[in-house]
Amino acid sequence: MADQFQAQFVGFARLVMLAIVPYVLASQGTMLGGRTGLFSVSQEGIMLVGASIGFLGAYLYGSLLYGLLLAMLAGALFGLALAYFTTTLKMNQFVIGLALFFFGLGLSTLLYKFVVGITLQPPLIPTLRSVPIPGLSQIPILGDILFNQNWLVYFAILLSIFLYYLLYQTSIGLELRAVGESPKAADSLGVNVSLMRYVTAMGGGMLMGLAGAYLPMVYTGTFTEGMVQGRGWIAIALTFFGGWSPHLILLGSLFFAGVEVLALRVQVGGFGIPYQFLLTLPYVATILVMIFATRWVRSPAFLGQNYDREKRTLT
Amino acid sequence: MGFDIPKAYATILFTSFRTPNGFVQTLLKFVPLLLQALAFTVPLTAGKFNIGGEGQLIVGAIGATAVGILFAGLPLPLLLPLVILGGILFGAFWAAIPAWLLYRFGINEILTTVMMNFVSFSFVDYVATEIWRDPAAGHPTTIPIGVGGEIPLLVARPPLNSGIFLVVLVAAVVYVYVNRTPGGYELVAAGANPRASRVFGINVRKMFLLSLILGGALAGLSGAVEVAGVHHRLIEGLQSNFLLLGIIIGLIARGNLLAVPFVAFFIAVLEVGASALQRTMMIPVEMVFIIEALVLLFVLLSDVVRRR
Repeated sequence: MADQFQAQFVGFARLVMLAIVPYVLASQGTMLGGRTGLFSVSQEGIMLVGASIGFLGAYLYGSLLYGLLLAMLAGALFGLALAYFTTTLKMNQFVIGLALFFFGLGLSTLLYKFVVGITLQPPLIPTLRSVPIPGLSQIPILGDILFNQNWLVYFAILLSIFLYYLLYQTSIGLELRAVGESPKAADSLGVNVSLMRYVTAMGGGMLMGLAGAYLPMVYTGTFTEGMVQGRGWIAIALTFFGGWSPHLILLGSLFFAGVEVLALRVQVGGFGIPYQFLLTLPYVATILVMIFATRWVRSPAFLGQNYDREKRTLT
Repeated sequence: MGFDIPKAYATILFTSFRTPNGFVQTLLKFVPLLLQALAFTVPLTAGKFNIGGEGQLIVGAIGATAVGILFAGLPLPLLLPLVILGGILFGAFWAAIPAWLLYRFGINEILTTVMMNFVSFSFVDYVATEIWRDPAAGHPTTIPIGVGGEIPLLVARPPLNSGIFLVVLVAAVVYVYVNRTPGGYELVAAGANPRASRVFGINVRKMFLLSLILGGALAGLSGAVEVAGVHHRLIEGLQSNFLLLGIIIGLIARGNLLAVPFVAFFIAVLEVGASALQRTMMIPVEMVFIIEALVLLFVLLSDVVRRR
């Protein structure tokens, strides 16, 4: 009985660790831009493009790595566009984010249709394999959950640790945070505000592209329309919830991934609950989390605003 | 990409205007697009972003269908207004949840309205597969609503319902309300400068609440018109991509309620042309969607040009 329970638990926890990756990557990307004051809502669109290009790259070149790199490149280009329109042209960040979301939404399906066409049998790519870490994966329970996953799971966790170090332990991190809190003060100390925003937007875009590419490479093996299923939007809520801090975002990802896996598990298990209600769990959880986030968490002071050094601003 | 561009333009204009079928298609697309655009634009005048028009449409359609099925026996003069009202109320209710969360807890409405869309997908699936499932249909679909709940046809063949009059009337009323009445002025003032409005005694948070609920009512109406006018039943996926197009329309019109109907018509022409392009020239419909997103970007860019 205890053995069975343990196996159940390990299985569940492994799936959760598998599911955190898109949330972690997309949210850390959002966090990175947000810390310099760039707030984008194009996550869902960039992730869709990442999923589409990642799949197509892997399908055409026969290598998952190519797909991942192409997805990151596409994400970076979206980030570049976001930074150019908002930082250089000073257009409304939210509206540009929406426009890029639309663009990505259309582009993802269009690319797929151009390359693959309309087929009954969608082409498949191999999914990412688990890479057990020698030694560590032998630890009972924990080894299976943490150290016997595909390498993007490791990457997502290491990235979170790295970003934490970068943000709070280095002078670049300090400058980066200063840009989001008070660009004017940062500017007066010689920090290049525009450059900071370009770099974080492109880096963030890369992570979102990667987050999208993860979906066909781990779950489905192919691209389907709208396959991101709101994960990009949830990532925004998650970033708020995590207070724009890498370590809390990692924890929050566990929660959202847990809800996602739980909804699937209960669905398979039956229990007489209509599956439609279970499917709404991640979204309802997001709304509930937002209630807490707005109360207890603070966002960068200059979030969502463009900085014009030639203008006098209050902050 | 090797497509004949002049021919593509000709196809768009020809199908959307010259063929009777195409023109009716354009008008039928115009109705939900205009309502969705209004559902986005009205909260926008108060500075709030309603990205939940899709969910509000779906839930509005559920409300309309529920009324249409439960009171199927009623005659037209009774049932049709009830069906429409059902759609409006359900849509308003769906928007009232994020609106209340904004009012009570100060939660950003953008995310909550998006989340409510995803919740509504499951809701409609439940209604169309569990409650009023039509076993004859392959796709999740409900049984038809009562005949009295159908909007009368304006032209029998190709079928065009007279819902378009209702919608144009609604657009006019919304325009007058926002631009010519004190209530509308408070709405606009709350969006333009919340701080100043507060000083002048406008309850800004109530205005935000109101604007979102109004938006939900308009989106719910679009759902009701789709059910009562076009499908006469609830079909999963009947929302198409109206929400995104509605937002694009609202943004291209830059929140100007007078411009919204014209932009909506332009987009309806493009959309109907696009499906013709898919049939005749094998150009995927998403192409037109990208073009619309680009049009939006260029319209927004013209602001930048004007500033210089």
